[in-house]
This record gives sequence, C-alpha cells and structure tokens, in this order.
Amino acid sequence: MKKSRLTAGVVAGLIVAGTAACSSGGGGSSDGLTFMFRGGDDEKAAYQAAIDRFTEDTGVEVDVVVSDPDNYATQLQASIAGNQVPDVFYIEQANLQSYVNEGILMDITDQVAELGVDLDNIWEYGVDSYRYDGTLQGTPEGRLYGLPKDIGPFAFGYNATMLEEAGVERPDPDVPLSWDDWLEVLQEITVDTDGDGEIDQWGTGLNVQWNLQSFVWSNGGDWTNEDRTQVTVDTPEFAEALQYFTDLTTVHGVTPNPEQAQTLDTYQRFMAGEIGFFPVGPWDMSVYNELDFEYDLMPWPVGTTGETAAWVGSLGIGVSATSDMPDEAVQLVTYLSTDEAAQETLIEANIQIPNRIDTAQEWAGADDAQPANRQEFLDIAEDYGRAMPAAFTYGAAWYDELWVDIQPVVDGVRPADEYLAEVQPRMQALLDQSNEDAARAAEQNAQTD
Amino acid sequence: MTSTATPATAGLATAARRSGARRKSAPPGGGTSRLHRNEQKWALGFVALPVLGYLLFILYPVLFALYASLTRWNGLGAMEFIGLQNYANLLTDDRFHQSMWNTIFYLVGIPIGLAISLALALAMNRRLVGLTVFRTIYYIPVICSIAAVAILWQWAYNGDFGLVNQFLGLLGIDGPNWLADATWSKPAITLMMVWKGLGYSMLLYLAAIQAVPRSLMEAAELDGAGAWQRFRAITLPMVRPVTFFLVVTQIIASAQIFAEIQIMTPGGGPEYSTASAVFHIWRQAFQYQQMGYATAMAIVLGILIFIITLIQFRLNKRSSFVLD
Repeated sequence: MKKSRLTAGVVAGLIVAGTAACSSGGGGSSDGLTFMFRGGDDEKAAYQAAIDRFTEDTGVEVDVVVSDPDNYATQLQASIAGNQVPDVFYIEQANLQSYVNEGILMDITDQVAELGVDLDNIWEYGVDSYRYDGTLQGTPEGRLYGLPKDIGPFAFGYNATMLEEAGVERPDPDVPLSWDDWLEVLQEITVDTDGDGEIDQWGTGLNVQWNLQSFVWSNGGDWTNEDRTQVTVDTPEFAEALQYFTDLTTVHGVTPNPEQAQTLDTYQRFMAGEIGFFPVGPWDMSVYNELDFEYDLMPWPVGTTGETAAWVGSLGIGVSATSDMPDEAVQLVTYLSTDEAAQETLIEANIQIPNRIDTAQEWAGADDAQPANRQEFLDIAEDYGRAMPAAFTYGAAWYDELWVDIQPVVDGVRPADEYLAEVQPRMQALLDQSNEDAARAAEQNAQTD
Repeated sequence: MTSTATPATAGLATAARRSGARRKSAPPGGGTSRLHRNEQKWALGFVALPVLGYLLFILYPVLFALYASLTRWNGLGAMEFIGLQNYANLLTDDRFHQSMWNTIFYLVGIPIGLAISLALALAMNRRLVGLTVFRTIYYIPVICSIAAVAILWQWAYNGDFGLVNQFLGLLGIDGPNWLADATWSKPAITLMMVWKGLGYSMLLYLAAIQAVPRSLMEAAELDGAGAWQRFRAITLPMVRPVTFFLVVTQIIASAQIFAEIQIMTPGGGPEYSTASAVFHIWRQAFQYQQMGYATAMAIVLGILIFIITLIQFRLNKRSSFVLD
C-alpha cells in the first residue's frame, strides 16, 4: 500500500512536471512572424521554399509551425485558448464568422489595398470566401479577413487508358454526359478481366459524402434555399439524385460493393487501375501524375438540368488581431496568396491551381499539361463551381446530420425519398439553431464595435 | 492486501506512542519543541503539494466546467450566461440519448470480461508447462497502444477478408460486415474491449486467488467439499474485493470510451450506432464549437458515473464480510 502510494506520488509529480515543461515551450517569438499551417510532405516543402524566398526579399524572419491535417484545428484552438495565436495561420471558410466575431482575425482590407494587390486577378470565389459584412459571409461588399491559400475545384476524371482498352470513346471535355449515357459506359467497363468469375474492374466507386453534391445540383436540387434558411433535401429532385447515386452500387453493380470498398477503398482502387471514373482535386495531381496510366478531367455527368455542377472549396490565410507585426503579417499573407514567384513554387509542386487568374490560364494552356484538360479546374473555379452547402453557415452540424443515418440508403435497404423526408426536420432544426447563433454573435459583435 | 497493511498500522502506532512520550517530556507551559515545530512545517509542506495540485488541476477545472455548462460558449470567446438552458436542451437531444444508450451497451462487456478473466486466472493458477508464456500472451494487449489495437481490429472485422469472418466461415457462418452494420457494430467494439481488458483483470484475479489461505482450502477438502463447492464458498468470496475494484474502475473507464470509437468508426459508425457519450461530447465541443453545451453533457455524464459508483460502494458495504 505504502509503496504504491509513493509510486503514485512520483508518477503524479512527473506528470505535473511534464505538463509544465510542455506549456513553457512553443509560443510566438518576438523578433519574427509565426506562421501555422497544415499539409502533407509535398506541401510543407513547397511552403518552406516560398517562405525562405519571402525572408530573403523582406528580411522578415518566419517561424513555421506545421501540423498534420487531422490535428490542425485542435492545435489552433489550443493556441487561441493559450493566448499564443500565431501571427499568420490557415483559416477554414466555415470558421471565419466565429473567428471574426471573437476578435481573433484582423480586418486586412486596407493593408491589402495599400500593398497594391490586384484582387481582380484572383479567383473571385476565393477572395469573397473571406469577406464578411457582419451578417453574411461570401458577399463582395464585406470586409476582407483573409486571402485564399488556394481554391479547390473538385473535378471529375477518368482512366483514359482503361477506356481506350475497352474501346470506349473518351468523354467530351465540354459536353457533359447524361446520367443514362454515363451508366451505359459504366456497365461496359465493369467486367471480370482475368476470367475467374469475379468482377475486378468497375465503372466507378463514389463516396456519398463528398460526391453526391454534383449529382444533386445538376438535377436541380440543393441543400438549402438561397438565403440558407430552409433545408430543401426533401425535394423530388434531391431524392432522385440520391437514388440514382445509390442505385449505381445496389441495382446496377457498377461500383465495388461496400465490403469490397472497405477492403481497399475506391481511391486506392482507382490508383491501382481498377476503377474507370473517379473525382480529381488539384491536390491529387502530384500523386496521380505518377500513376502508370493516363487520366484526364471531364465535366461531372448531368441530371435533368443538363448543366454540370461541382463544388469548389477553399482554405484561407488570415492574420491574428493581436499580432505584434501586423504589417509584416499581411505582407506574408499577400505574398503566399498572390506573389508570382511564390505561386510558381506552389504550382510546380502540383498541389494546387494558381491563385492568379492570368498565371492559371497560362498553366492550363501549357502544351505539356498533365492532366491534359486542366482547363476543367478553371471552368469550375470561374464558371460552374459552387461552395459546399455548409461553407458559409454558422457551423456544419445541420449538414453533417444528413450523413449520420444514410448507410441504409447507401446499402439499398431504404428508399432515398423516405429517408430524406425523415431527416429534413432534424436538419431544419439544426440549421435554425445555427442561424440563431449567427445572428446572436453578429449582434454581440456589433455592440462591441 | 491485509498483510501489507499490518506493518504500516503498527508503524503508525509506534510513531504515536513516541510523539506522546515526547510531549510528556516537553518543558511545562513552553508549548512544543523546536524539533516538533520543524517537523510540522515539513509535514505541512508535504501535505500542501498534493492539496495544491488538487485545487489547481481538479477543483478549479471542475468548478470552471460547472460554470461553462451554464453558458453559451463556443470555446473561443465570451461566455454568455444562459442558466439551465443547455440542460433543458439535453432532454430533447436524440443524438445525446442515443450516445448514452450506446455507452450503457458497452458496459455489458464488463461482467463478460470479468467472468472470462476469472476463469483464465484459475487456469493460470495451476502448475502448467509454459505458464509464464501464457500469462505474457494474455497481458500483451494491455500494454499495446490503443490506436494500434483499434486499427488491427478494424482489419479483423473487415466484412470480406477480416480474420473474424474467415474464422466464422470455417464454422460455416456467413459473418456480417461488423463495423458497417448498425446491429453488429456495438457488439464488435464490446468484444474488442473485453479482449483488451482480459490480461489486466486476470493478473489481479491471479494475485487474489494466490492470496487465499491454503488452510481454508484444506479444511474444506477435509469436510468433503468438491472443487465447485470450494470455488463457490471460498475462492469467490475471497476475491470479492478485487471484483469490486475491477467493476468500479472498469465502469468508470468504459463510460469514457473514446479512442477506439474515433479510430474504428470515424463519424460515430453507421446510424451513430457506435458513438459513445464522450465521442458525442467531443464532436459537439471541437467540431461544432458548442463548448458550453458539450460541457453540460460532460457534467451529466460525470454525475451519472458518480452515482453509479456510489451505489456500488453502498452495495459492497452491505454485503461485505470480515475474515478474522
């Protein structure tokens, strides 16, 4: 008893000492900027190179804090709670409003204008994502609280080598396939290639949470009405899109079944050359360009409207409202987001599309472009791309609610329309609450200003 | 345990006698000696350290959480006091109820695990060849990182190629797709928890069984008690304190299960069937920035665990016995 208590005491002591040691580490340095971001290895290397050039040009030292994507939000929140907010950091579209209302993000409208940045040459969607007028985010009139690190147009792609071998015509880069025509192609390439009686090559294999959007939108459906007050997932257009989506697996069998997808997910299967059609984001290029088959981009197949649709995401870079060096911090933000040399470093790493429209057009038109139809990314960026349904609402709880119970629909044991009718009131209640929270926060913000 | 406590108590008694003797010999009217005061200062210093730690790391956070649960707070900015609104909202929050029910379901694994580990401990108590090897094998899961274990079990539960279904296939059973099936996901996770906890419980039971006085066993044997009767009437009551300890600590631990859920079924599993209370709390606090609301849930969970533990202590006291 005595001994164990002593041990417990020692352990407790060590824990206390350990915690103290941890908390004394880190924090902002006083003679330079701190920049916190997230990313994979390719991204880290590219950003480090860009930042080194920034230090060379301006003489401003930058202390870089990198975290892996899963931990970023927690780490940033911890730094905010500990009053050690980095001078410059990545900011999610969905968190912008609360960060502004809590006085964490600095209004950089004037500094950016003073630095002479030509915002018209940056994707409008990217810049507007970080504008906020106190009630609405994403409006051109709002004040600017960040610049896009990048925008992520989520295009659709295909394994060109596979289609060629199957004798299927390449999809037209400008005229989208209808759902029916696409299904025919899918059925044609879903085959047993080695003759062992089991299908080992599939038409496609999509993830409902990340790929359903295009289907719903091109069928005339949407998650909410225009002013984001009414959840509209219970419309026939939405239900039809979801049903078509799940039927690909459960009725037509042109995708790996759930067990097969669990064994090896469809992303891996696409890279292994087992899947014909698969979405492609700009961040995939660095990996896909190394694959041993040719791939290219195409518009997403379309439902009843005949108009293709895709989502486009964005991650922003913002400045802390409590930064000791606000001018240098804004300079770093504009450098990373808009400087030509910095952009070049990032583009060469194949992790994003250029932020500058002129550079992007050049990049897409290049003769050695890989994938050849890079233009599809730009079309999404300036033409048919849409923000994710929850990008500009106050929190995404209402949106996530749709996915929680969706499994039986995906498995084909529950009709889409029945499920959607059931989930709509729950989503509506959460959206109402989110809108209430937004209004309350904006009101408080107005009082403190 | 009783045997180690005896010298400690004896030591205290001698210390008390000594200090009493010293007090008698102290000069009359002059208060206490310098040595005594000095010792008292040291004692206070030693006492202050844990007390300070308690105030700083337990009491303050708990009081803070109590207050936070009464506010609307996103974890970043100002807290707005809203009274019991968060608690009222809890009453109608279906997802919270569901996560509480899931958590209660996981507790089913505790009696199953205890029964198996007691049986294992009895087996390990015999003279077997390779006993240490077996003990080590059963203890390995305990020291394994929960993240690694969760990923391995995720593979084992794979619907197509998982070890579990392969094994069931040998028996002619077509196993379900465990983690993607709302009916089977909770039992799957419970099974894993049982497996992970076996070694620890077994070790404690083994120590308890070996502490059962041999004389009792011999006496019972002389009186003609069979193996089952000896187990029921002697071993089982003698290991009661260990059972009590394990039940209490495991209920507290299981009620806070999180890492396994987060790794094996990100998003809370099909139809939220695996989301534990702590998982739900974490999601509200860090994904939806509802820190105040999440704190209220945490307080409710904490109170429930406290009540359950209290009931257990009551029950244990009522049926406990002393062996003289």
